[in-house]
Amino acid sequence: MKSEYIIETEDLARYYEVGGEVIKALDGVDLKVFRGEYLSIVGPSGAGKTTLFNMIGGLDRPTRGRVIIDEVDISQLDAYELAWLRCRKIGYIFQTFNLIDTLTALENVALPTIFAGVPRDEGERKAKRLLESVGLGDRLNHKPMELSAGQQQRVAIARAMANDPAIILADEPTGNLDLHTGMEIINLLRELNKTRGVTLIAATHDLKMIGASDRVVYMRDGKIEKIEKGGQPIVNFP
Amino acid sequence: MLVKERRQAGRITFSIVDALRLGYDNVKRRFNRAVLSMAAITLGIAFFSTLYLTDVFFRVYAQTEGGNPRIESYQYWLVFVSLAVCIVSITNSMLIAVYERYREIGTMKCLGALDQHVLKLFLIESLILALLGGSLGFGIGLVASIVTVTVTLGFSTILKTPPISILTLLGETVLLSVILSTVATMYPAYRAAKLDPVEALRYEV
Repeated sequence: MKSEYIIETEDLARYYEVGGEVIKALDGVDLKVFRGEYLSIVGPSGAGKTTLFNMIGGLDRPTRGRVIIDEVDISQLDAYELAWLRCRKIGYIFQTFNLIDTLTALENVALPTIFAGVPRDEGERKAKRLLESVGLGDRLNHKPMELSAGQQQRVAIARAMANDPAIILADEPTGNLDLHTGMEIINLLRELNKTRGVTLIAATHDLKMIGASDRVVYMRDGKIEKIEKGGQPIVNFP
Repeated sequence: MLVKERRQAGRITFSIVDALRLGYDNVKRRFNRAVLSMAAITLGIAFFSTLYLTDVFFRVYAQTEGGNPRIESYQYWLVFVSLAVCIVSITNSMLIAVYERYREIGTMKCLGALDQHVLKLFLIESLILALLGGSLGFGIGLVASIVTVTVTLGFSTILKTPPISILTLLGETVLLSVILSTVATMYPAYRAAKLDPVEALRYEV
């Protein structure tokens, strides 16, 4: 019987020392995320959103506390297992897209499947299907620089889905997009969350994203201020 | 749970074939950078092979015509110095390449690449550059030495030289090129592999 939570953090803290001064990027965060949930994390810059993401993604080690993903305390994992976690369990979406400029859309999406040991043609078939599902079936061989910002973020979303992760971490996914394109991306993410059951966690300043999510976590100074139910999804945005 | 699942679901991989393909793509698509890195190898190897090929021709001349044309020993020192300079410039060029690709490396690590995969990718790229640069350098050296020997001793010396000795030298030269390039890329590739993805993604190019 699997736990109803896919992610749990217990008293999670991360301190940095900058110039002899201790910065508490995270300071005792207890968060439980349900399977298949769409969770927004809101807060001013410096509130610890990105640090929290890095912790959940196994990119950074906590100063104190634990992160449990699928009933496994990830601080117990070695580098190999953390890479496995990032490769198979978690998909990343960034504000700046972070596509690899020298690779085509198809190759970018197929890249995670290489690390997952999927045979090349199978990986590319899958990448093609994913790109079609995000509406870029006619842009397979375009380089990121030949795509609009919204299209680049779609490629990044397809890449995040490449190994069928259980969790998608999106750090300000609409931060570099205009209103309309941002709305399209939100609807796409929401659709993936609904149809594929992937747990979606998005750090955002974007009111539209907050409206679309199931729950909203408000963070300030490395702590959770409050957790609220999300609003109704805004489907028809002008 | 995770460990059990990992065994079922397979491993994290990055095969030599994938590395070669990705490395080749990188070299091809960052052609300007590749040409700069390669120029260092090509020039060093061209100088090296000119001298050694000339030496081969001189020996043939000494055997067939008598006489004793020789390479001055200071010229070997020059080759040694030029190869040392070659290593330093490849290292320099590769370090810049690593900085240029900070975000790319960080992203790859986020997608599940291990340190050793990044290391492998950079070493493979340097191998490709070494093979190309080494062969090209040898070609230049061959032309240069044939011209010098023809001018000083006449073309007949070259015709009398057994091709096998030139081929052997080609093999040795390319091997030397691969060794030099690998040694030079070791540190930049290590830096790339050890890159902290959190830092790399924060880094603005």
